[in-house]
Amino acid sequence: MMAKSLSNLLFKGLAGLPATRTSRIMVPGLNYQHGMRYSTTVPNEPDTHDDFKPTNKLESSGLSLKDVVEQDVRQNPVMIYMKGVPDVPQCGFSALAVRVLKLYNVPLSARNILEDAELKSAVKSFSNWPTFPQIFIKGEFIGGSDIILNLHQSGELKEKLNDIAANQKTE
Amino acid sequence: MASRGANVVLSRANRMKTKLQSALSASSLEIEDVSHQHAGHAAVKGSAGETHFNVKIVSPKFEGQSLVKRHRMVYDALAEELQSGLHAISIVAKTPQETGA
Repeated sequence: MMAKSLSNLLFKGLAGLPATRTSRIMVPGLNYQHGMRYSTTVPNEPDTHDDFKPTNKLESSGLSLKDVVEQDVRQNPVMIYMKGVPDVPQCGFSALAVRVLKLYNVPLSARNILEDAELKSAVKSFSNWPTFPQIFIKGEFIGGSDIILNLHQSGELKEKLNDIAANQKTE
Repeated sequence: MASRGANVVLSRANRMKTKLQSALSASSLEIEDVSHQHAGHAAVKGSAGETHFNVKIVSPKFEGQSLVKRHRMVYDALAEELQSGLHAISIVAKTPQETGA
């Protein structure tokens, strides 16, 4: 019980943080031009890799993790819960999903579920899906890497992402 | 690896096969243990080895079901395995018609 309440406390702060956008993928050689729009949401500290930054978990907000996930999915047109971060995925399936999504030049928002066991289980029960990565597009649960690859190959992903990509161009 | 399944009566692949077969009446079912490809995987450290699988399944029950639904059907059949250390499955789920093409 101690551990449980401690982690609840720790994870409350998540709610105050926007999911990390593509701006995190500011690695030379990667295409992030469209994602740059979002760089205002991330402190501009080129020397600080996100993996090593304190994650502000202590910031209190009163939102439950379920609320956090709901908010993520509602506010981010393309949301991925993955193992690792988009520029350093820690699982081949997460890497594949990111690689597919990056083909479309849409802003990609991500959370690393390896950092948060509680977030991980919150996402699992939210989607009723047991594995990661998990991808949501415009609030709709899409599935994991097999499905995103399939939708890519069938052309359905292009349709789903069309308006998001178009918004990127007009702004 | 001789040591891998030492305390497991049946390999996970075999259990998965039985469960999928009975839940989904598969007309074709291939299960491949690819755990070795994920050996250094952060989430896998400390678990017994049988963590990642490729599943190719053909079932008439997928007829008219979306991909998400088909995957859910596979996950549902494997719920116990997922709770006992199975981390990831790459799933190809088709209907007999789709494979006939």
